[in-house]
Amino acid sequence: MIEIRGLTKSFGALRVVEDVSFVARDGEVTGLIGPNGAGKTTMFRLIGTVLRPDRGTTLVDGIDSQADPLAARRRLGVLPDIRALYLRLTAREHLRYFGQLHGIERRELEARITELVATLRMDDFIDRRTKGFSRGQQMKVALGRALVHRPHNIMLDEPTNGLDVATSRAVRELLRRLRDEGRCILLTSHIMQEVSALADRIVVLAEGRIVLQGTPAELRRATGLDDLEEVFMAATQQTASLPALAAGQ
Amino acid sequence: MTMPAILTVFRKEMVDHLRDKRSILISMIYPLMGPLLLGLMFSFAGGTMRVKDAAPLVVPIVHPESAPDLVRFLEESGATIQQLWQDARVLVQGGWAPFALILPDEPAATRQGPLAVQLISNPSRFDSIVATGRVVEMLNTYQKETLRSRLSAAGLPAEVINVLDIKQENIGRAAGPAVIFLTMIPPFMIFTLFTGGVHVALDSTTGERERGAFEPLLMNPVTRFQVLSGKLGAAIAFTLMALAVQGVGFWVMLHSVPRESLGLIAPPGALRLMLVVSVCLPLVVLAAATQLLISSVTRSMKEAQTYLGLLPLIPGLAGMVLALAPVNARPLLAAIPTFGETLLMGQLVRGEGVSWIFIAITALATLVVTGLLLWLGFRLYEREEILFPQ
Repeated sequence: MIEIRGLTKSFGALRVVEDVSFVARDGEVTGLIGPNGAGKTTMFRLIGTVLRPDRGTTLVDGIDSQADPLAARRRLGVLPDIRALYLRLTAREHLRYFGQLHGIERRELEARITELVATLRMDDFIDRRTKGFSRGQQMKVALGRALVHRPHNIMLDEPTNGLDVATSRAVRELLRRLRDEGRCILLTSHIMQEVSALADRIVVLAEGRIVLQGTPAELRRATGLDDLEEVFMAATQQTASLPALAAGQ
Repeated sequence: MTMPAILTVFRKEMVDHLRDKRSILISMIYPLMGPLLLGLMFSFAGGTMRVKDAAPLVVPIVHPESAPDLVRFLEESGATIQQLWQDARVLVQGGWAPFALILPDEPAATRQGPLAVQLISNPSRFDSIVATGRVVEMLNTYQKETLRSRLSAAGLPAEVINVLDIKQENIGRAAGPAVIFLTMIPPFMIFTLFTGGVHVALDSTTGERERGAFEPLLMNPVTRFQVLSGKLGAAIAFTLMALAVQGVGFWVMLHSVPRESLGLIAPPGALRLMLVVSVCLPLVVLAAATQLLISSVTRSMKEAQTYLGLLPLIPGLAGMVLALAPVNARPLLAAIPTFGETLLMGQLVRGEGVSWIFIAITALATLVVTGLLLWLGFRLYEREEILFPQ
């Protein structure tokens, strides 16, 4: 479970995230959505402990990520927006490298890699260097890299960005399976349809603040709109009119 | 059994960069340029010097008919006389002849006093220096022998013209041009140790940040110190490879060039060259620390390459200065990083004795500066801005 309490972050005079609080529960997919520049990636970096908040705390399975960032990272698997693979390493070497960074014992690591290769259908390219990989192949390697240590909490930044329909569907199926295993999944997107297809709970960010949060049904009820895309538009353009759901009530 | 994080990062960078053509080129091929260049210089210079003993000397003379005795002496000494009709200065300046003699335009019978011999040479050309030396030697011999026969005709002993009896003993390992060539080895090595691992250092730090691969790495349970230490280790390993390649290159070169003709009496052996590399070791870490520091304040590979392209010139300057104006190894100089090492390397390649205290001061001073640079570099990498290359 990822618990965010009053997270605030500024870069110089620019406030990027302001007093954000929400909970991403186990066994649920939580969608963090917002227009470009809403602060989603900064939130990811704050939760991933590569940025330090000005105020507020993040608890990952009860671990204060500021007090013990390494322990928090052990319980997190992160798929960043930029896949950024090492072009001279094979897909298998990627998984092995990140597994070793998590301190997984060699035999156990090889077993997990074999399992991931089957789950993500990477047989065709697992021993090929990643230079020239398609977007789908790159995404699978990056996802495998994020899952190799079997994290309880999984964060995905725009997971289907640039993928074809078949690969996007495969990713969604995998995420549902991980959720059904009881893991906590937090994903960001600026596409409402994607989030609505997956998320059990939605948090809408605009200009660094939460403007709306709840289950899809709660959001529809609160706004009086049926289409979640319309809900998203209403929430991000009229931030002041939805105070109750913004506070997560 | 799990691998410590630093070793994991180090191993990944080694595998990654051993597959990178640029890293291999910079650390395995570029270092050979020094030995190759010096070898060519030795060979060309040696070839020119060998002419001294073997090839006949051609002596271009304007008005040779005015000094038949001198011309005869030169011919008897093995020289070939070439009568010049054109401007001797233009001939020498254009490189058509290494030197020329201009004799006066008057017959020997009417001349009073010494024969005015004008020697036109061009010391900016190596062949001119060598050939001029040969003809000056012949002229001096002619002068001495003529003087001797005149003294003998006057009934005086020939020994009266000898004031000094000079015997030279060379206790160094080299003399003549070889000394200059050997003094060029330290600047080459300094240049290599500041460039050998530079691509690895930059690509794995600035390059990784630019490509966005640094952030996912930091979301793993490793500290920035561990990540950077592993990357530094790889940069150091590549620099050591470059130094080893260059050391072997110099050894092969020094043992295959025509050394006697250049005055290379005893070229440095493998052990001595290993000692030369050993005194560089603290500098290897200093170079890596400098690269880390520069990578921490630059936002792109291009920007970092601009600064790091100039960096080797600064420590290389010490070597250039010492090649032209040798100074004695004093403890105060040992405390200047790169300067102390350059002095030590110079002493070692020339076969001179070195002081262990000087080595200790040099290593300590370099390591202190390295420690400060590393501390600063690691601190700068703790900044949040490091994640945003653009």
